[in-house]
Amino acid sequence: MIPTQGKKQEDLLILLEEAQNKLGYLPEELMAELAKSLDMSISDVYGVATFYSFLSTKPQGRNVIRICKCLPCLLKNAQAIIESVERETGIKPGETAPDGKFSFELTNCIGACDEAPAMMLNNEVHVNLTPGKISQILKACK
Amino acid sequence: MGEITVTINGSQLSGSEGMTILEAAQENGIDIPTLCHRPELTPIGACRICVVEVEGSRTLVGSCHTPITQGMVIYTHSPKVLETRKVIVELLLASHCGSCFMCDKANVCELRRIAADLEVGLPRFRVRKRYYPIEDVSPYIVRDLTKCILCRRCVRACNEIKKARVFGIAYRGFDSKVVVDFDQPIDKDVCQDCDVCISFCPTGALSRVKKLGEEKKGKALVISS
Ligand code: SF4
Ligand code: SF4
Ligand code: FES
Ligand code: FES
Repeated sequence: MIPTQGKKQEDLLILLEEAQNKLGYLPEELMAELAKSLDMSISDVYGVATFYSFLSTKPQGRNVIRICKCLPCLLKNAQAIIESVERETGIKPGETAPDGKFSFELTNCIGACDEAPAMMLNNEVHVNLTPGKISQILKACK
Repeated sequence: MGEITVTINGSQLSGSEGMTILEAAQENGIDIPTLCHRPELTPIGACRICVVEVEGSRTLVGSCHTPITQGMVIYTHSPKVLETRKVIVELLLASHCGSCFMCDKANVCELRRIAADLEVGLPRFRVRKRYYPIEDVSPYIVRDLTKCILCRRCVRACNEIKKARVFGIAYRGFDSKVVVDFDQPIDKDVCQDCDVCISFCPTGALSRVKKLGEEKKGKALVISS
């Protein structure tokens, strides 16, 4: 699924990232294939894939919402933002909507603490969130 | 190999180059507790129970993976060291299931023994417990990961001694877990009854499959008058 000629174990993360960008998630067959060609165990590949919040082992929705769950954002009431995303999308953190429109995840700090609470929608950062802003932003999603 | 002189707990001792603090201490009859470390396996410094104080070092150092250097001044049982070890055990036990009474490992459990040695009392930290279903699919091995302390001894034993690479660590933080392949229960296709990991597990997380009534096998006892 992705070329691995001449690749070594230390290239694993780059290869996983490549696959994630290309396929939107990391299917088990791909991880098994990578393990084989890099001479690693499947569990080690799976370990790396599940360690990073930006790698996903399940198919993702068209839009991926990532709300920051670290302390500065929580102090600025990220909980209210989380709840408003749940209301708007009908899904909870870790889930993907049945129509495939949204995936919702909590993530570690995304470096926007000075404008907390913050989130990433696909590759864009949104800051100073309020429940009102959330419904606007999500309405604009296809 | 050069001789190295160090001072441990006030006495001058000598060791050889490449030795860890733990080895130098053990060679001189000083007992430092360890959990993730085994002499047969690569040291990884995961559990921190073996920390000691080294003069001039900003933090405590892990003795199982730190080599001795010339003139090092080491304290293996200072108040700071003992307090730190105690907190480490308390933290390990905080998310542990807490059922030693009913645990088969009880009197040979290394975690429990160390907790007793350090006089760890009733739980101080109230956190979520980590519960997993018991895995008993395999005919050789039962995994009760609720009791796992993530020392990674099974992972390394399988990798380094048996070279079977059955286990890995997946997920992150509180969710970290020793997994097989894509987090499947271990079965007889991946594991071939070598027992190596079981003997390395310091807790009751890994055990052999027990068959009901096994002790009754053999000739029946007939009492004749
Ligand atoms: S594994 Fe050890 S500490 Fe845990 S319940 Fe069993 S005896 Fe107690
Ligand atoms: S199963 Fe046992 S040996 Fe393996 S990491 Fe857990 S406590 Fe350590
Ligand atoms: S804590 Fe939320 S962006 Fe840093
Ligand atoms: S025994 Fe040294 S860090 Fe675990």
